[in-house]
Amino acid sequence: MTHAGKNGPRVAVTGLGAVSGLGWGAEALWAGLRAGRTAIRLFERFDHSGHRTHLAAEAPEPPAGAVRDLPGGSRLSLADRFALFAALEAVAQAGLGASLANEEAGVYFGSSTGGMFESERFFSTFLGERRRYARLSSLAAQQVNSPGDAIARHLRITGPVQTVSSACASGALALGAALDAVRSGEVEMAVAGGSDSLCQLTYAGFNALRSVDERPCRPFRASREGMSFGEGAAVLVLERLDRALARGVEPLAVLDGAGASCDAYHMTAPEPTGTGAAAAMDQALRDAGLPPEAIDFVNAHATGTPLNDAAEWRALTQVFGERAAALPVTATKALIGHLLGSSGAIEAVATVLSLRHGELHPVPRAEEAQTGVDPELPVALVLDRPLSLEARTAVSTSLAFGGSNAALVFSRWATGQAA
Amino acid sequence: MSRTVLLTGLGTVGAFGCGGESLERALAEGTPSLSEVDRSAGYHLPEGARLACLVTVSLSEWLSPAEGRRMSPPSKLAVAASRMALRGAGLDSGSEGSEATAVFLSTAFGPSSNSEGMLKQIFLEGPEAVSPFLFTESVANAPAAQIAIANRARGPSVTVCQREAGPLLAVSQAAAAVASGRAERAFAGAVDEVSPLLHALLDRFGALARSGPDGDEIARPFDRRRCGFLAGEGATVLLLESAESVAARGAQAIARVLSWGSAFDPTAPVSDWGKGHDVLARGLRKCLGRAGIEPQAVDRIVSGASGSRAGDRLEALTLREALCGGNSPGGPGLPPVLTPKAVTGEYGGGLLGAAVLAAAGARFGATPGFAEPDPELDVVPHDGSALPPPSTVLVSSLAAGGAGAWLLLGAP
Repeated sequence: MTHAGKNGPRVAVTGLGAVSGLGWGAEALWAGLRAGRTAIRLFERFDHSGHRTHLAAEAPEPPAGAVRDLPGGSRLSLADRFALFAALEAVAQAGLGASLANEEAGVYFGSSTGGMFESERFFSTFLGERRRYARLSSLAAQQVNSPGDAIARHLRITGPVQTVSSACASGALALGAALDAVRSGEVEMAVAGGSDSLCQLTYAGFNALRSVDERPCRPFRASREGMSFGEGAAVLVLERLDRALARGVEPLAVLDGAGASCDAYHMTAPEPTGTGAAAAMDQALRDAGLPPEAIDFVNAHATGTPLNDAAEWRALTQVFGERAAALPVTATKALIGHLLGSSGAIEAVATVLSLRHGELHPVPRAEEAQTGVDPELPVALVLDRPLSLEARTAVSTSLAFGGSNAALVFSRWATGQAA
Repeated sequence: MSRTVLLTGLGTVGAFGCGGESLERALAEGTPSLSEVDRSAGYHLPEGARLACLVTVSLSEWLSPAEGRRMSPPSKLAVAASRMALRGAGLDSGSEGSEATAVFLSTAFGPSSNSEGMLKQIFLEGPEAVSPFLFTESVANAPAAQIAIANRARGPSVTVCQREAGPLLAVSQAAAAVASGRAERAFAGAVDEVSPLLHALLDRFGALARSGPDGDEIARPFDRRRCGFLAGEGATVLLLESAESVAARGAQAIARVLSWGSAFDPTAPVSDWGKGHDVLARGLRKCLGRAGIEPQAVDRIVSGASGSRAGDRLEALTLREALCGGNSPGGPGLPPVLTPKAVTGEYGGGLLGAAVLAAAGARFGATPGFAEPDPELDVVPHDGSALPPPSTVLVSSLAAGGAGAWLLLGAP
């Protein structure tokens, strides 16, 4: 591929891990996505009877022995557990051992609320009349940086460890930072991704903004009324492509570019023309050394809110021109909800799996009466059944609260392909 | 591409007041500005810490009332500091907006008073009572977003949360973005507020200095009697630019960013300090090596030592291991060590502001509270005597939980 090496060595994805409402593990994620099975339903993570809406894609109970049995597992927050499970899965797939102490490795992670779910238990007691019974120790591990730190601590990583908390772009921005760190030689290997659990703070907050749909979210549909929440984690192991091949590991895909921008427009509303989101995609393409024509599909941010989807469509038309309406688009949030700080990471995993399987996962049909997308946002949304597509390259977008945008460009890796 | 990164603007606000001159004065005097924390909510233990470095100065010169009413306390501090940085760099707020201007901001705890307000609404009044304004300004990246909006900065907007290492990581990421050409110019810094609840929680964890037989609440970095740090709030925002950008507009730089680096000590317990000074020292040496700087070339250290018992110990052992080749008694000593957190408090970016001033040759007073060296640490911080301008300043900050970050600054 002639575009390789524009900004340094190409960077391979050699391991994937995921936890979502569709289950624990990347296989469970792909099986559910491919089947178009939504995990958004009534949930039990907390009492939501006083909230305006009542749906979320809650992660199921973990498989026996997963994470809780690790040292200190009982004190880990949910977000920590999701992160650790996904990291251990990804590292195992990358053919690495249980310790990365002897690797030049770093952790680049995203989280929006860290251990807020556990903090809320503390605060509900602390702010009430039973303050003296609030267990302060339960707050020790509830920092936003806790999931990334937990991975580094468990894998004995001694290189850079940093957590990005830029709302819904956190995971994608963390992957961008990891890409730069591997390219520049700051690390040989990056464990990158994001993790967030459901919590009342964000559930009530987005409901206060009236951004949450009372039904499962319907990205790009005329009837869309907002987002649905999800929870979970995703981790990708990144390393130089030549290094992965030299140690005999099959690359799953190549992360060829990353871009980021800010709308600098409004705290909650996207810039309506989509210029900021388009700038992030343009930058990612330039970073990858690829023209827009090289992109075969888009894993869109696609929250399902009226304003976000409209702005994203306009951004797609700016970047891809007349091709925008024909470019296959998939919307992972329709199946696993919005994972906030982890959404960019798990959608990166979905993008890699799509490239690897030669299929785009579908979005479930919203309702019988509605067969297509909003006529004002005529995206080529993959509906009902998977779309077979031997795609070469794809872009995944993340467009956050506060106007922070990020885009990632992944390329397919075919077995036996020359580096 | 790897371009020279220059620092052209410093904006800072804290208990010491507004602007680099106020901070410089406070550092020269070597006295923290302390205020009583409001204990009326009943979060504090009766015997707990009472004081913190709180912002009492008006921000009206930097923020209109109409802007301020839409912002959380950290957003106000961050936007004010960003405008100071821009003015210091000879640029007008809002006129230089560009896709090539990025924002990298760190916060340890985010807008915690808004989160507390929301949690009170949820648990005391019910979830439907939650204010959309409080939520909008409760997210960690609200201050960075407000800086971007206020200054029309349409480049990458990244918020870093890595406790006490966050401020240096944010500057490092910004420097990397400018060096690689991802940005032409970047706002980089740190912001935090100290709410009564946060203060009470830090105190209950045993992190804060308390009054006792050795005197009133005071941070004593590297002192044998140190017992905790002073919580501080504020914001420091630096403006970083490529050398080409600075030359093109004929501007003056304050300092040059020579190198940056970070590492992680996996022996550190959650929210506590580890014992892996060897691992951290290796990371620090790597940071020096990347810029081709020998350890003995470092002639000033701006240390993140805060008065924490275990944190200062780890800092001392790491510095001595990396720069002096080990911790054996009688070996070579460290260059002058400045400990600005004893004046500015922990959090709020005071360390960053002090680092820039140190690189510019500002005078630092004696370390407040230091009188008795700790024989295990073998670090005696600066005594306030006059020092020649430095050529290579090492800025160091280790975080509870395991992270450590370093920055090397030199003359422009």
